[in-house]
Amino acid sequence: MIATTAAGAPRVAAIRSFIRGRRHRPWYDWYFMVFVVGLAAVLLSDLLAQPFGRLAGSGGLAPAQAVAGAALVIGSAAGLLVLAQAFGPLALSPADAGWLLLTPLDRRDVLRRSAAMTAAVSALAGGALGVLGLAMAGPYLRPGPRTHRVPWAWLVLAAVGGAGFLVAAVLAGVLAQPWPRWRARLRVAGAAVGAVAVVAALTGERWTGVSLSVAGRFAALSTGTFGLIAVAAVAAACLGALLVRRMLPRFPAAVVRADSMRAGTALMAAAFLNVPLLTWLAEDSHWRGRLLASRPWPRGPAFVPGLSPAFVLAWADWRRLARRPAVLTALTVSALAPALTGAAFTGHTQGWTTATVLLAGAVAAGTQGTTATRRDTNDPTLRRLLGVGARTALGARAVLPALLGAVWLALALTLLVLTGELPGRPLDGWLWPLSGLAAGPGMAAAALRIARTAPINPADQGSDTPMGTAPSWLITRAGSVSLGLAAAYPTLRAVLAGQVHGSTFAAQLAASAVVLGGYLIRAVRAAPSR
Amino acid sequence: MAGPAVAVRGMRVAYGSLVVLEHVELTVADGEIVAVTGINGAGKSTLLFCLAGLHRPAAGTVTVLGAPPRDDAAFWRAVALVADQPTWYPGLTVREHLELVRLTHEPVNGWCLWADELIDTFGLAVRADAVPLDLSSGQRQRLSLAAALARPSRLLLLDEPEQSLDPGFRQELAGLLLEYTGHGGTVVMATHDLDFAAAANARRMLIADGRVAAPGLAGPNP
Repeated sequence: MIATTAAGAPRVAAIRSFIRGRRHRPWYDWYFMVFVVGLAAVLLSDLLAQPFGRLAGSGGLAPAQAVAGAALVIGSAAGLLVLAQAFGPLALSPADAGWLLLTPLDRRDVLRRSAAMTAAVSALAGGALGVLGLAMAGPYLRPGPRTHRVPWAWLVLAAVGGAGFLVAAVLAGVLAQPWPRWRARLRVAGAAVGAVAVVAALTGERWTGVSLSVAGRFAALSTGTFGLIAVAAVAAACLGALLVRRMLPRFPAAVVRADSMRAGTALMAAAFLNVPLLTWLAEDSHWRGRLLASRPWPRGPAFVPGLSPAFVLAWADWRRLARRPAVLTALTVSALAPALTGAAFTGHTQGWTTATVLLAGAVAAGTQGTTATRRDTNDPTLRRLLGVGARTALGARAVLPALLGAVWLALALTLLVLTGELPGRPLDGWLWPLSGLAAGPGMAAAALRIARTAPINPADQGSDTPMGTAPSWLITRAGSVSLGLAAAYPTLRAVLAGQVHGSTFAAQLAASAVVLGGYLIRAVRAAPSR
Repeated sequence: MAGPAVAVRGMRVAYGSLVVLEHVELTVADGEIVAVTGINGAGKSTLLFCLAGLHRPAAGTVTVLGAPPRDDAAFWRAVALVADQPTWYPGLTVREHLELVRLTHEPVNGWCLWADELIDTFGLAVRADAVPLDLSSGQRQRLSLAAALARPSRLLLLDEPEQSLDPGFRQELAGLLLEYTGHGGTVVMATHDLDFAAAANARRMLIADGRVAAPGLAGPNP
């Protein structure tokens, strides 16, 4: 017997109970969820142990590090807001969107659970960011005359404040969701806040006077200040919740339906680390509905007639990137990331965090030049029509990702030198960016390998390894990262050591050339990498 | 109900700067079956989405069952949409999906088929207890169409219903649509299969270059 409303329509809770009662969720679904949460907790606890240690007032901390940390927290909140917008923020599971949305069921009841879930996740993330922000400023806070230990009341108020503000911001995203113009404005606002935070952090790092001044203001914070912030945040969140509640019955089905489909695919892709599918979605969503001025293909280099069609083929990515200046701007700004993350989180500017961000950033920059490769991997019609060999085409297509990876690394390393995180004596100052430039071709190999990765087949039984059966997609993705690591090893090692020599540059040049050359030879011999 | 089931006047639809449909005029009488035809990308699915209120036209008026599409309970009680890319609950069987549709449309007032009848009619008996993941693409399409008839409605919007169906079942589907209209329903469907349209005794409407090139083709196929 299904419970009904006063009007005779069934209650959504009863429908959901019907679905829940009949769904046969396999045990490994739960195992997967617990595993992912556990893994995330282990990784995050390791990363955050140092900043949270500052809550006890332990350890010395440069003012620049405190300022960079606080700015990074604000930037992360802005990033989360932009990310939430990409997923809706209000979205149903694809099945709910297909079977419950376009029905006579009460729209508010259908959407209520998703709205509550969105608010709960935002509150959790906001609370964590609030505490993290407090931790970043830890040693500069003055909770009492004889203690540096941050009191529990401050912790709670910071968590409540962070949760309230992020919930309010995400619910504002829900309110803007049906209106494309407001949606775009909110996205721009989030990006602007993130950019300002990054610039502020960098300013604090570069000019000690600024960071001292900001860190000095942390000392003036009191329980009353935190209380006021928390009250304002909770009030904003409550107002947002009230407005969203009133909006839910009239929330347009078309918007929820489209966002739910996209969010469902994106979440599945993220769960399987399926980067190609995620970038595919982002690409499609950007280009859909645009009219572009068609232009003739350029003439290839006349001095090497055989290569001309290959470069014509590769030109697709150059043109695509030229049509997306925002991507180039984002890449340029993201070159600040290594300087900020290293200083803010670990306090060790030449540590693993900086090296990891350098590697990930350079590979990510390279992948921005591999869209055509990704699309052609399973359907090389155009390449065959032009009569271009697979290796020649891949070689021509390696130029752009190599350039992007090289310039990004050089820029990031230069910024590390300028902010004083890497030694910048006259000779070293030049060698760091030069090493970054030399690593470019190697980054192209990693980016191309990621682009040519076959779609993930969840039914794949996996391969036997000494540690048990491992899914093929995990092995191939680990392979791409390893390729990038091998290609950039000399530079990354120099970053960890904080020293660069002429031999570093030479070794980097050799490593990069060997990795790219080896990849081009091997990649074409085998089928598209899985 | 007085007036046509569907009336579209001077409709213009655009995705950003890309104009998909322009000056669309369409009238569908109550109890009629209309087959919207046209080449890929002509705007057939877009027209259906506008009728369902899932895409707002840039200009013109759309009237469905006497009023503009309202996206409320009364509208979705009267209108059923079978679009491409159907989704499924991973752990529910074919039969449970059909029962779910009926439950979401309680109280059931009007003609529709019970889950058992639909399973037999749509040839899903041997797969009734399977999950949709284990069905072939044709069987999944049968399930999508069966779901549309598992609940009462007055207007059925079908986007390429013949997709993945074998020729024999296309004829059976045409018969089912005729039975649906015999109970007072109206059907607007986008299709590439002119034989199927003819079997359903549908009035054919051709969309070309974003406009209605031929609003009422009938009779034998060329």
